[in-house]
Amino acid sequence: MRTILLITRREYLARVRGRAFVVSTAVILLILVGYSLFVGSLSGAGDSGTSRIAVAAETEAITPALRTAADDQGRIVQVLPVPDAAAGLALVTSGDADASLSGPPTRPRVDVDRSLGGGTGSVVTVATSLVAQQQLLPDPAAADAAVAAAEPVVVAARPEDPASGLRIGLGAFGAFLLFFSIQTYGAMVAQGVVEEKSSRVVEIVLATVRPWQLLLGKVLGLGAVGLTQLVILGGVGLAVAGSAGLLVAGAGLVPTLVSVLVWYLIGFTLYATVYAALGSLVSRQEDTQSVLTPVSIVVLIGFVAGFNLIISAPESTALAVLSLVPPWTPLILPARIAVGDVPVWQVALGFVLTLAFTAFVLWLGGRIYARSVLRTGARVSWRDALTGR
Amino acid sequence: MDSHPTDRDSDQVLEVDGVSKHYGAVRALQEMTFAVRPGELFGFVGANGAGKTTTMRIVLGVLAADAGEVRLDGRPIDAARRRRIGYMPEERGLYPRMAVGEQLRYLAELHGLSAAEARAAATRWTERLGVAERVGEEVQKLSLGNQQRVQLAAALVHEPDVLVLDEPFSGLDPVAVDVMSEVLRERADAGAPVVFSSHQLELVERLCDRVGIVRDGTMVVEGGVDELRAGSGSVVVHAPDAPAGWADAVPGVTASHLEHGRTVVALAPDSDDQALLRAALATGPVHEFTRRRPSLAELFRETVTGRDAA
Repeated sequence: MRTILLITRREYLARVRGRAFVVSTAVILLILVGYSLFVGSLSGAGDSGTSRIAVAAETEAITPALRTAADDQGRIVQVLPVPDAAAGLALVTSGDADASLSGPPTRPRVDVDRSLGGGTGSVVTVATSLVAQQQLLPDPAAADAAVAAAEPVVVAARPEDPASGLRIGLGAFGAFLLFFSIQTYGAMVAQGVVEEKSSRVVEIVLATVRPWQLLLGKVLGLGAVGLTQLVILGGVGLAVAGSAGLLVAGAGLVPTLVSVLVWYLIGFTLYATVYAALGSLVSRQEDTQSVLTPVSIVVLIGFVAGFNLIISAPESTALAVLSLVPPWTPLILPARIAVGDVPVWQVALGFVLTLAFTAFVLWLGGRIYARSVLRTGARVSWRDALTGR
Repeated sequence: MDSHPTDRDSDQVLEVDGVSKHYGAVRALQEMTFAVRPGELFGFVGANGAGKTTTMRIVLGVLAADAGEVRLDGRPIDAARRRRIGYMPEERGLYPRMAVGEQLRYLAELHGLSAAEARAAATRWTERLGVAERVGEEVQKLSLGNQQRVQLAAALVHEPDVLVLDEPFSGLDPVAVDVMSEVLRERADAGAPVVFSSHQLELVERLCDRVGIVRDGTMVVEGGVDELRAGSGSVVVHAPDAPAGWADAVPGVTASHLEHGRTVVALAPDSDDQALLRAALATGPVHEFTRRRPSLAELFRETVTGRDAA
C-alpha cells in the first residue's frame, strides 16, 4: 500500500509542479469563459428588439405608457388590442404575441407562454409604474405609494423551470470537464509509461514493485492531478456563476457535483488504464500518438455527440442510448443527470455496465501492461501483448 | 583481507538453481545454476547474448523463469526479499526530469526505507560518489559520467543486502572504476553476496573471489579465480635437443605443440608433472620448465569458443 502511495505521490508532484498543469488550467478557463460569452451573445441575439403585446379592453389605459416606456428603452412595441383576457391568451399561446395584459392597468395580469423576456418585461414594468404615477399626479405621496405597489403579475401558460438553463449549463460544463480531463490526463498516463520505457527506469522500478502497483500508482497519481484541476475549474466556474447571480437554489447543484466527481473517477480509471496499456506497447514518445488515436477518436465521438444532444435535445432517445454505452457513459450520463429526469433504472444500468466494463479493462489493461512494459525496441504486437509471456 | 566478517544478519547465499527461459523458439537460459556466498564477489562473464542479463532479470523478478528457482538463504526469493537487492540494469535508466536527490530518496523509499532514512542515505551516497553538489539538478542535465554515478547511488541507496549489477563498470572513468571497485569490495566484506557481469576481464580477475563463465545460457565453468587458472594449466618446456613429439608418450599428457621453440604440453588434471620433467631431462638439457597459468581472458576465450576447458 505504501508503495502505491509513493508512486502516486511522485506522479502527482511531478505533474502539478510542471508548467503544463498551470498552462492547461489557464487555457481551459479561457475556453470556458469564451464559450459562455459566445452562448450568452447567441441568446441576446434571439431578442429582436420588438415586443408584441396584446392589451385587453379593460387595461387599454396602459397603451400610451407602453409606447413611452418602449421609446425610452429603444424598443419597438406593437400593441394588439383584444376584447378580453381570453383572446389575449389565445394570441400568446399561438405565438402571435409575447405577452397579454388584462385587469387593472396598475396591477395587470401578464399572460406569457413560458416566461416574460427581459426586454418585454421591463417595458411592461415601467409602463405599469408610469400609469400609476399619471393617475395620482396631484398627490405625490399617494403616487409614490401607488408606484411602489404597481407591479405586473406574470402568469406563464407553460411555466419554465427557473433552473433548467443552469442545469443544462452544468451538465454541459461537466461533460466538457470530463472529456478534457480524460483526454489530457489519460494521454499523460500514456506519456509517463512511455517515458519510463524510453528512459529504461522502469526496470529499476519493476525490480522493487509489481507492474500492477506501478500502473495503479500512475493512474491514481494522474487522476488526482486531474481532480485537482477539476476542483479548481469547477470552483472558479461556480464562483463566476454565483457572482453573476446565475445560481438558483434547487438547480440540483450538489447532486450534480457529486455525480460529476463519481463519474470522473470511474471514467478516468477506465480511460487511463486503456491509455497506459496502449502506451506500454511502444518505446518511443513519437509512437505514442499513433497507438492512442483510435481511442481518442472514440472519446471524441462520444463527447461531440453527447455535448450537442445535451444542448439541443436533452430528452432524446438517441442521447439516452448513447449514454448507456459503457465507453461513453462517463462522458454523457453525468450531463444527463445534471439536466434531470433520468430514470433511476438507467442510472443504475449505466453504473453497473460501466463498472463491469472498467473491471474488464483493468484486468486486460494490466495484463497487456505487465507483458509489454519491459519490451523495448519495436512496437509490441497485439498478439504478443495478449498471449506472449 | 580474506576473512569476511560474519556478524551481519545479511549472511545469505544467493542460489540460481536450474533456471531456464525461452523467448518464443529462442532458448535464452538452459538450466543456469550457480551460487554466490555471503561476502563473495562473483564475476559473471560470457559473450554478448550468453544469458547474463536474462539471468539477472530473473533474479530480480523482472522476468519470470520458465523453470528453476532463485533462492536466497535457502528459501525461494519473494517480493519482500527482492527489495533488499541492489540492482543496476544493463540499460541504465533514471527519471530524466527528476532531481537527483529527490530521485534517490524516492527509490530508497520504494525499497522500504522511511523518509528520514531515505534522506540520510541519499545524502551519504551522493557525497560518497562525488555528486553531492548536483542533488538539486535534473538527471538529464548531468554529464554521462555523473549520471552513471547517480545510477550506482540508485543501486546502493537502500543499503542492500545483496548486489546484482549488470555491467557496472561500462562507461565509467578510471576514478569511478576505482570507487566502484572499492564499494563492491566493501559491500562483500560487509557480508553481502555480490554478483556483477563485465567484459573487463582483468578487472574481474583482480576483483573477484570467484567467476562463472556462461555460454549459450548455461554455466560452463565456475570456480575460484586461482583454482580455475591452476586447473587448466599447461606446462612450457624448453628442451632444445628434444625431438618432435617427445612428450606425447608421457603418461598424463593430452596434447603438445611447439611455440617459439618451446613445447607447450597440456596435462590431464591431477597428473604428475614430475614424470614430464624426467622425460624432458632424458632428451638433454632443460632450460625452462614452467607451469603456465592462463589469464582469465585466455580461459574465457578457450571456454566461449567451445574448446573443452577441462
